Amino acid sequence: MATKLRSFSRSRLTKFIAFTLVVISIIVFLLELLDADKKNLSMESLYVENYDESQLFENEIRWAFNEAIELMENRVDIINAELSYLYYITNGEKTYSNAALSKILENEKYHYSYSGGKWNGERIYAIYDQVYYGENYAIDIAFTEEHMQQKQVYWDESKTELTHTLIIIGAAIVIALAGIIYLMVVTGRNSEDNEIHLTQYTDRIYSDIGLGIFIFTLMLWGWAVNSMVYYYRFYSYNEINNIEMQFVNVVIAIITGITTIICGLFLLSFVRKMKAKKLLKHSLLYAILIGFSHFIKSFFDDSRYEHYPLTKSLNRRQVIFTVSSGFMVFITFVFMVGAFHSLIWLLPIMIEGLIIFWYFHENNKTFVEINQGFQSSIQEQMKSERMKVDLITNVSHDLKTPLTSIISYVDLLSKEDLPESAHDYVNILADKSARLKNIVSDLFDLAKSTSGNLSLDMERLDLVKLIEQTLGDMEDEIERSDIRIKTTLSELPINIYSDGKKLYRVFQNIIGNALKYSLLGTRVFIDMETVNNVVSVTIKNTASYDMDFTADDVLQRFVRGDASRSTEGSGLGLSIAESFTWACGGSFKVDIDGDLFKVRLEFPMMA
Amino acid sequence: MWHTANMVIMEQMDKARILVADDDKEIAGAIEKLLVREGYEVIKAFNGMEALDALVANQVQLIVLDIMMPKLDGLSTMMKIRDSKNIPVILLSAKSEDSDKILGLSMGADDYITKPFNPQELVARVRSQLRRYLQLGDKDSANQIAKLIVGGLCLDAEKAELMVEGEPVKLTAKEFKILEFLMRNAGCVFSAEQIYERVWQESAYSVENTVMVHIRRIREKIEINPKEPKYLKVVWGIGYKIEKL
Repeated sequence: MATKLRSFSRSRLTKFIAFTLVVISIIVFLLELLDADKKNLSMESLYVENYDESQLFENEIRWAFNEAIELMENRVDIINAELSYLYYITNGEKTYSNAALSKILENEKYHYSYSGGKWNGERIYAIYDQVYYGENYAIDIAFTEEHMQQKQVYWDESKTELTHTLIIIGAAIVIALAGIIYLMVVTGRNSEDNEIHLTQYTDRIYSDIGLGIFIFTLMLWGWAVNSMVYYYRFYSYNEINNIEMQFVNVVIAIITGITTIICGLFLLSFVRKMKAKKLLKHSLLYAILIGFSHFIKSFFDDSRYEHYPLTKSLNRRQVIFTVSSGFMVFITFVFMVGAFHSLIWLLPIMIEGLIIFWYFHENNKTFVEINQGFQSSIQEQMKSERMKVDLITNVSHDLKTPLTSIISYVDLLSKEDLPESAHDYVNILADKSARLKNIVSDLFDLAKSTSGNLSLDMERLDLVKLIEQTLGDMEDEIERSDIRIKTTLSELPINIYSDGKKLYRVFQNIIGNALKYSLLGTRVFIDMETVNNVVSVTIKNTASYDMDFTADDVLQRFVRGDASRSTEGSGLGLSIAESFTWACGGSFKVDIDGDLFKVRLEFPMMA
Repeated sequence: MWHTANMVIMEQMDKARILVADDDKEIAGAIEKLLVREGYEVIKAFNGMEALDALVANQVQLIVLDIMMPKLDGLSTMMKIRDSKNIPVILLSAKSEDSDKILGLSMGADDYITKPFNPQELVARVRSQLRRYLQLGDKDSANQIAKLIVGGLCLDAEKAELMVEGEPVKLTAKEFKILEFLMRNAGCVFSAEQIYERVWQESAYSVENTVMVHIRRIREKIEINPKEPKYLKVVWGIGYKIEKL
């Protein structure tokens, strides 16, 4: 039911019929109005039953008295005119009349007189209360019964006709209003959906241009109708014959019809645009403003800086902003000095406003972009950091678990009763699995420290003592190696803030390295010096082989002094030492000078 | 040499039943064989829940517990066990961070071994824990006063005897004095100079090496794994101490 009603109420035909009805109603309304005006009907007849009680009759009486007075004072000559009333007027000297006084007095009912400064007769007092002609004047006015009857007939006719006209006008107004409201409600909607549809014709005209046409058409119509009505009135209606009248009516009807159609179409277009919330946006002024605004925006927006890095685009925008703002200030100043009253100087100020707006708007966009990039890179970094930690933990676990089995079963195997050769093999397996264990352990220490996940236990400690303890711990190794260690350490304690266990690993690795790769019979030097609250420890040894690599190379993972890689060790010793040193708050430097291999560690001292 | 000290205890120990919980079946199997070869009885479990079930069904004297296990991890399992039982728990883990060890020990573990472990070290630690657990209450309390006891170390100053996990260990005079001094002040850190002055009764000058060498020798005698000492520790850059256990 509702859909049926909708498809009916929104159909083109219904709309067309409604529109036609509105147009016709308005034409009818106007023509009826003109007709009523033309016939000079008195509205009073609608609510005053009898003519002799009407304001119109009162005016007739007044008119009669005025004419009589004017006649008396020789201002006009109406003696010969055919009058609708009887009069008798005298000022004691002169007397004017168009009937005998006795005849006037015959018409008792409509007799009005003035004598001795007093008014007599029904209703007359009310009319002439304030008027005083003087003591000498005596005026008698009377309307014949015949005249009054004639007037009453006209009065009744007028009433009938007016009632008729008013009904038509009222109906026309009701129909027109209903039609307009209906059209306003349904315009832009069709029976298929609930969207607002703009037409291809009137709606494509800019709103402000449409408004101009709307107002212009109305004005044109007003002027045309007005001049025609004036034409009617100028030649009193009676002088225009019927055919001419009909012609004028037709012309008015056509003009009004066209006007109504044009204005109606535009009005409905406005309503549709309002519904679609495009009334203001779809206007020429708006389009011009937006176009101009976009022109200014184009100096600041992304299209101009597509291939620029973000910070560079900020810089460029800044330059353009500063230069253009300066220019606008200058122009404003020139206009203000030159033509302050013309207010033209407001224009550059408005342009400057747009420049400021777009500058900040586009800058803000760039900032947001930079911020987003920054955020996402931080997140990316955190994610990869997390993944790295997870990877280390997982790989560590996955490597250690099978290694545990290998070591355990090799141990079990070594306890079995095996042939001599098999026992040798098992010993090799035990040896190599132990080495593998060391490598894995070193690898994860290094991975943890290079990824910044080393847990540190920082405390105040004496570096001198730490080196001595390390040397003591390595006593056996040193004695076995045929290499002597010469230390020049500070006599006083050198306190630093560090992780003792990690630093022990650092020195153990460096010294172990020195013992492994030193030329037999040479010495390893461990020197310590303090400069400006920084303690530096240098470990020097003479290499037993050609050092055909750079200081950087040696710190690379798995790079070892001997290319054959036959000796024990993971090859991670120096890398771990370096990484741990940095983690413990020190610095680590390797220097190669001929056969001299030098490692230099530096730590800030504690007060 | 194990059969000289305390025959009764040894017999008890030989019969001791050990629960091994590790989700890796090969590792659990290897540990089982290692311990069976040492004369212990072994029950295996492959996750925390199985371990708890096995504890209900059997009388167990020691648990070797892996931390990373499915269903119920080692730490949670240990906390459940600690609610009712006081038996020694040795944690086994691939996590080698100090913080992991500290966490495990502070949650009630008696020892912590990182994978991959040395099989002999594992056996030694199991033996050490069992001895202490089974010896508990056997000690003559009157006897204790003259003795210094730190964990499994028992030093009799009068007789100049040192027992490690119930087994006598021979020390030189200086080593004995150093250990006695450190055990009397268990938990305190002493520098090499301080130790030297107390033990040698001479003023110390450049003695770090001497003391360090002695410390190393003592560690080799009393520690299961001298590289990861349990009792006698080096506080790098500061000094030495006996851990207060």
